[in-house]
Parts: sequence; structure tokens; C-alpha cells
Amino acid sequence: MPQSRKVALVSGGSRGLGAELVSGFLDRRYGVATLSRTKTPFITDMLRARRRGHFHWSAVDGRDHEALRAFVKEVGERLGRIDVLVNNAGIAMEGILSTMRTSEIVEAVQVNLTAALVLTQACSRLMLRQGSGCIVNISSVNAIRGHSGVAVYSATKAALDGMTRSLARELGPRKIRVNSVAPGYFDSDMVSHMAEEQKQRIARRTPLGRLARIDEVASAVHFLTSEQASFITGQTLVVDGGITC
Amino acid sequence: MLTAPTLAQIESIVHARIRAVLAERAGEVGRLSGADKLSATLGLSSLDLAFLVADLEAELGVDPFAKLVSITSVRSVDDLVRAYQQAFFPELQLRGEDDAVAAAVKRAHTRRARRERS
Repeated sequence: MPQSRKVALVSGGSRGLGAELVSGFLDRRYGVATLSRTKTPFITDMLRARRRGHFHWSAVDGRDHEALRAFVKEVGERLGRIDVLVNNAGIAMEGILSTMRTSEIVEAVQVNLTAALVLTQACSRLMLRQGSGCIVNISSVNAIRGHSGVAVYSATKAALDGMTRSLARELGPRKIRVNSVAPGYFDSDMVSHMAEEQKQRIARRTPLGRLARIDEVASAVHFLTSEQASFITGQTLVVDGGITC
Repeated sequence: MLTAPTLAQIESIVHARIRAVLAERAGEVGRLSGADKLSATLGLSSLDLAFLVADLEAELGVDPFAKLVSITSVRSVDDLVRAYQQAFFPELQLRGEDDAVAAAVKRAHTRRARRERS
């Protein structure tokens, strides 16, 4: 159902930051499409509550490139356009590189990086035709500072930042902006495995003295996709309470 | 496009889309020649070409550059036309190996299209 309202596609919108972004875009009167591997209670609630064609979800595995392209095509047909893409889907991958299984390395690269490239490729085609668009890649402070045990994760997130800068130059002439948001540690499923002591240690090292709230990270994304950021492209906005400064 | 277009229709659509891109940039557009180089003669940038491919995918429903043809092999208007013709008529891929055979296939398609129109 093509619509006049703007449309945001958020990958990995079934939980955590992705779910927060989905809610935020719906509150801002966007049509929203999201994909995830499984249907969570959040998605079920959204599908129940947003019946008027403004919310679309599909079960898609980010490693399936054809399914990603088909999803973008479906969103274009159903919602009529794609104004915003947020490459949010990702998996945490911790471990010392030298003892990590190759299959884990490949999976992290496929989910965190290749899926984002394929989604961006497909969405950018629609944006090129529209002559406008905004892409935000969810990076990480691990792309900026080295930490033991996250070499693969850091590599994928730093690659996203590289993509951000190059694509900003590539697509800028067609009025498509590309930026990254690099969150520090925030309350989400990705830190749920951390011991309380570990979280407190991070909070102590953070100038603002705590982990971020999820809405504080989402706000940065909403800012970058708003008119207020209309002259910002190719940048990485670090939202980390100062831990990398 | 619901039914497969003819070779002539594909050529006409590709030419029309190229002209549209050129018109957006420079206004009036003269006649296109198949030998015109997209970059050197017509002044199209890589991004213009990307826009063109996105536009043609929307119009024709195919993207020959996803798997079939490398975009770096496309230099002229004819190269671009041929890429889309190959997407609909895979037998035209013979062209690289045997131009004469491919040209004969193309002529046969043109004749068939002409017969269908009359």
C-alpha cells in the first residue's frame, strides 16, 4: 500500500535498539519495515497494533542475500518508497581470535557486514530513483578503540564506518546522506551476558558515570535521519558517555 | 513489464532512459548513437550509470549486472542495450564468443518482432 508518509527500513527490529528504533519511527509517523530471523513478542504486538498498512515485518535471515533483496523489493511495493535505512542487525562475537572457529568469523562478517552491504545496495537503488534518502549504520565504540576479545566484531564495525565514509561521497550528489552511530555500552541483550561487576567497571571508566540508555542511542539515529541533520554526511556520531574521548 | 519485451523495445527503452538522464542534466538531447561512449562521449558518471541501472530495473524488472554481466564491461550505449537484451535472451551471450552467430540471432529476433507487429 503506497503511502505519502516517509518510510524507514530497520534491520534487526525485533528487539533491543532495533525495536526502540521501530517504535520511534512509528511515533514519528513513518511507515516502518523491519526484518529479523524470528518473530518476538514485540513484533507480534506491533503487527497487532499497527493494522493500517504502516508496519511491515518479515522473517529474513541476514545471511540470505536473495531474501534481503526480495524484502527490499517487497517494502518498495508495499510502502511505496524507502527514505531511511538503518543497518542495525548484528551479532556480538566475543573470543580470542586465535582460538575462534572459522565458521564464527564468517558468520559475524556475514551478519554484521555483508548483510548491511546487500541491504544498502538494494535500498540505495530506490533512493537513487527518489533522489533522496538517509542511511545510518549502527557501528560501535569497538570500531574506534581496541579491546581484547572483540577483534572480529571490531573489524565488522570498523568496516561499516569505512562504508559510511565512502558511500557518503558516492551517493551525496544524489542527495543521499550516509552516517554511522557508534554506541558505547548500553542496556541491551548484547550486554545482558555481562557480569554486574563488569558493567560497573565500564560505568566507572565512563566520564558520565553510567551505561547509556537505549533511547539515548536511538535519539542519535533519529537526529541523523531528521531535517536537523540535513548537512551531515559521512560522519560517525559516537554515543558513549565519553568513554573514547 | 508483464511480457518479455522484444529486442527493439529493449533498445528503445534503454535509449529513452539514457536520454532522460542526459536531459535532466543538460536539457536538450540530440540523437543517440549505439557507438556513443557512455562516459567519454555522453559524459555520464558512474553514479549516473547506477541511477540508470536502478531506473531500468524498475522499468524492465531485471538487473543484468547482478550476476550476468559485469558493469565494467559496459562502455557504449550498445553495450548497455546488449546487457539488457542478454537478460531477456540469454542466447545472445554468444556474442562475445562468436559475433556472427549472435548477430544472426539478433536479426532473427528483430524479424520475429517485425512479424509480430505486422
